[in-house]
Amino acid sequence: MTDNEQLLTGAGEWEFSPAPLVELRGICKNFGAVAACDDVDLSLYPGQIHGVLGENGAGKSTLMKVLIGLVLPDSGTITINGETCTIHDPLDAAAHGIGMVHQHFSLVEPLTVWENVALGDGGKLDPDAVRNRIGELGDAYGLIIDPDARVADLTAGLRQRVEIIKCLRRDPTVLIFDEPTSVLTPDESQQLFKSLRTMVASEGKSVVLVSHKLDEVLRTTDDITIMRQGRVVDRMDTSETTAPELARSMVGREVSLRAERAALGHIELDVATDVVAQPTVTTEPVLTITNANASGPGGQRLLDDLTLEVHPGEIVGVAGVEGNGQRPLADLLSSLLPLDNGTVAVNGNAVSSSAPGAMSRAGIGVIPEDRHDSGVVLEMTVAENLVLVDPQRVAKHGVIDHKKLTRFAEEMIQEFSIQCSGPHAPLWSLSGGNQQRVVLARELADHPKVLVAAQPTRGLDVGAIEYMTDRIREAAASGVAVLLISSELEEILDVADRIVVMSGHRIVGEMPRAGVDLEHLGLLMGGANA
Amino acid sequence: MTTVAKPATDEKRASRARQSARLAEWLVLYLLSILGAILISALLVTATGGDWQSVVGALFDGSVRNPGRWGATLGAAAPLLLVALGTVISARAGLVNIGQEGQLAIGAAFATYFGFLIGGPGSVNIVVLLAFGAVGGALWAGVAALLRFWRGVPEVLSTLLLVAVAGQAVAYGLRWQGLLLAPAADRGNRNQVSEQLGTDRRLPVQTIFGNSYPISVYLSVLAAVIVAFLLARSIWGFRLKMLGRNPRAAQHSGVSQNRYGSAALMLGGAFAGLAGAAMLAGGGFAFGNFQLVPGFSANIGWTGLLVALVARERALICIPVALVFAALRTGSGFVSSTGVEGRITDVIQGLLVLALLVPPAVMFVRDRRRARAATTART
Repeated sequence: MTDNEQLLTGAGEWEFSPAPLVELRGICKNFGAVAACDDVDLSLYPGQIHGVLGENGAGKSTLMKVLIGLVLPDSGTITINGETCTIHDPLDAAAHGIGMVHQHFSLVEPLTVWENVALGDGGKLDPDAVRNRIGELGDAYGLIIDPDARVADLTAGLRQRVEIIKCLRRDPTVLIFDEPTSVLTPDESQQLFKSLRTMVASEGKSVVLVSHKLDEVLRTTDDITIMRQGRVVDRMDTSETTAPELARSMVGREVSLRAERAALGHIELDVATDVVAQPTVTTEPVLTITNANASGPGGQRLLDDLTLEVHPGEIVGVAGVEGNGQRPLADLLSSLLPLDNGTVAVNGNAVSSSAPGAMSRAGIGVIPEDRHDSGVVLEMTVAENLVLVDPQRVAKHGVIDHKKLTRFAEEMIQEFSIQCSGPHAPLWSLSGGNQQRVVLARELADHPKVLVAAQPTRGLDVGAIEYMTDRIREAAASGVAVLLISSELEEILDVADRIVVMSGHRIVGEMPRAGVDLEHLGLLMGGANA
Repeated sequence: MTTVAKPATDEKRASRARQSARLAEWLVLYLLSILGAILISALLVTATGGDWQSVVGALFDGSVRNPGRWGATLGAAAPLLLVALGTVISARAGLVNIGQEGQLAIGAAFATYFGFLIGGPGSVNIVVLLAFGAVGGALWAGVAALLRFWRGVPEVLSTLLLVAVAGQAVAYGLRWQGLLLAPAADRGNRNQVSEQLGTDRRLPVQTIFGNSYPISVYLSVLAAVIVAFLLARSIWGFRLKMLGRNPRAAQHSGVSQNRYGSAALMLGGAFAGLAGAAMLAGGGFAFGNFQLVPGFSANIGWTGLLVALVARERALICIPVALVFAALRTGSGFVSSTGVEGRITDVIQGLLVLALLVPPAVMFVRDRRRARAATTART
C-alpha cells in the first residue's frame, strides 16, 4: 500500500497535510544475534492515532526507543517534517517535538503535581505559571488534575495524567504511549482514549499507541502497524479490519483458543457461552485467609482486613488495578510478609506467616509476579532452582546427590518443556518464559494443595501464555485450589470460576464468573463501594 | 525425539568449546595482571634505589630457599587459611565479615584464659584450647550477628569496629592477673604478657628436612577440604548459597535468614578464633612464644581476609593463595638485608591483591554485558 492510498482510505474527517510528520525507513537494530528491528518502516501522519500492535518481544518497544532516542539504530533513516535527522537522546527527540509517556512512571512521589511537572526546568521557577499551564492543558484535553495534590496520594490513572501533562507541556507534535492501559481501570482507559482523540482532532498532533491488546487498538486507532519478530508484517486501516484478522496477523497463525484471545485482550465479554456455571461449592475451603492485616516498614497499609477463601478445584481470580494490595497478598502466601493480625489456614490448620517457608511447607505453591524477586536464584543452575524449596528430595543424610539432582532436573525439563542447554545451565541464561516454567515446575512438583499464580503470563508470548493457562487449569482440574492474581481483566474472565476484586488493599467485592457484571466489576476496581 | 539427540551433542561440544575459550581468557587475564603487578613492584624497588633482582632473591631465600624457611612459611600459611575459610563461609551467605583480626585476637585470648583455667593433661588441654579459641571467635562475631539480625546493623560496620574493641579488650585482660596476665614470676621484664604454654600443651611439631611446622598445617588443609565439600554438596551449603544470592527466594524456600545468617557469621568468627588459638599453641614464625601479648594477631586476620578475597570465596583455592601470602610474609624479613625497606613486601602484597582482583572484575563486567545483550535481544 502506498502512502497515497493510505491517505485516501485513512480517516478522512481529520484534516492533515499529505506529508507524513515522521517517517522511519529501513530501521534495523540488532542485539547480539537477534534482530529486534529488521528493516522496519513507519509513517506517522498528523491528526491520526497510529497503533503499533505486536506480541511481547515483537520489537515494538525497540522501535519506539529508536524514535525517542534511547536506542541508536544500526541502520535506517528518520525523517521529521521532511528533514533527515539523527536522534541521539530523548532531549534531541523533544527538540524535534517527539514525546513519550512510558509504561512505568518516573514521578517523584513526595512532591506535588506541579513540582513534578516543573522538574527538570532550568532557570527561575514560576510556580503560578506552572499551575496555570497545568490548568490550561487539563481543560484542553480533559485531563483535569489538582496541581497541588501530592503524587503519592494519586491513583495510577491520575499519575498517568501527570506524566501526560509533563509531556504535553513541551507541546510535542508526536506523542508515544507505551502500553498505557496496563495500570488503568476500564473506565480510566476510556477517558484516556477520549483525551487522545482530542489531541489529534483539534491540534493535528500525531499519537502512537503501542499495545498488545487488540480491542483497544481496534477501538482507538486510525491505522495499525503490526509487528512480529522484529519485522512489520502488516499495515491496515482500522476501519477495514477485524479482531480475528489482526490476531492472525499478529501471531502468524489462526487464533482460536480462548486463552490466546484473552491474552490478546480480545474476548467477547458479554457472551459467556462456554462458561459453565459452577455448581455451588459445598466442599470445605482449602485456603482460608481471615481478617489479614499487614503494614509496611513506613506504617503504610499493605493488607487491610483481607478475608478470602479458596476451595479445592476452584480458580479464584483476584481482579484489580495494580498496586491495590495484590503484591502483598502474594507475598503473604510466599512467607514474605508477616501479618500484624489475622490468620492464614490450609485445610483448617493455621500457618505461621512469619516462619520462613511455612506457607510452602503447608502446601502453598507460588508463581510470583516478579520471579527474579523471590522465585528463582539467577546465579544458580536450572537443576538447583528446581529444588530450591525441597532439596531433600535429591539428598541423603544432608548431602545432595548430584546424579539424583541431574536426573530429577532432566525429568522436569522434559515434562515442562523447559528450553535450556541442560540441567546445569545457569538460570540467567534462560529466556523469561522458560524461567517461568522452572518456577512452575518446582512449585507443582510438590503437589501443592494451593497454587498462587501472580500475573503468571506477564511478559510471555502467546504460545507461552497458552501453556501457562493450560497448566493452571490442569492444576485446578486435579483438585488444587488456585488463586489467580492478575491485573489483566481478560485473563481473569478467561480462566477464573469466581472473581474477587481488590481495591485499597482489601477485597471489595465478589462474583461468580458465570454471572459477571462488567460494569459493576469496573466500578469495584475503581474503588467504588460495592 | 530421535532427531533431538544430535543437536544435543552439538550443543555439548559448543558449550565445551565455549568453556575452554573462557578458561583461556581467564588465564591470559591473570597472567597479564600479575605481570603488571610484578613490573610495578620492580619499578618501585628500582626507584627507591634498590636492586630488584636481589629483592626477589631475598624473597625466595626467606620463604623457601634458606634452611628451615619453607617450614616457617607453612606455619604462617595455616592460620591464614583458617581465617580465609571462615570468610568464605560468611561470604557464601552474602555476609561481609571483615573483623577477622579482632575475632582472631579474642579467640587467642579465650584459648589462653580457658586453657589455663581448665588445665588437664596436655593432649586434652590442646583440644580444650583450640575449642575455646573457636568459641571466642564465634562469640565475638556473634555480637555482630546479633546486631545484624536483631537491629539491622550492617555487619560490615559492626565486625570492623569490633576489631578495635577486641584489641582494647585483650590489652585490658593482659593487665589483670585474674584474666590473662601471667604471675609476676613468669613475666620477666614485660608487663603485658600471658603465661607461657607448657611444652606438653603445644601443638605437635613436625620436622621434615630441617623444616618444622605445627600440625595446624594439616588441620587447616583438612578444614579446607571439609568446608569445600560442605559448601558444594550439603543441603546446608546449598541453602547458604541461596541465602547469599537471593534472600527473598531463600525466605520463601524456608531458609531462615536469622538462623543461617547468624550461623554463617559465627562460623566465620569461629574459624578466625581457631586460627588465633592455633597460633598460640603452634608458636613458630612471628606468632610469639606460646604466650599472648598485645598485637598478637599480627595482621593474620586482615591477610586471611585478603586470601579469601583473592581466592574468590572458593575454599580449595584458598590453599595456594594462603601459601603465596605466607611466603610474602616470611620472605619480607629477608628483604631488609638487601637494603630495601622490608615493608616493600606489603606494597607487593597489595599490588598482588589488586592484580588478582582485576581479572574477576573484568570478567564480571564482560559477563554482565553479554548477559544484558542477551536479555535485551530477547525482549
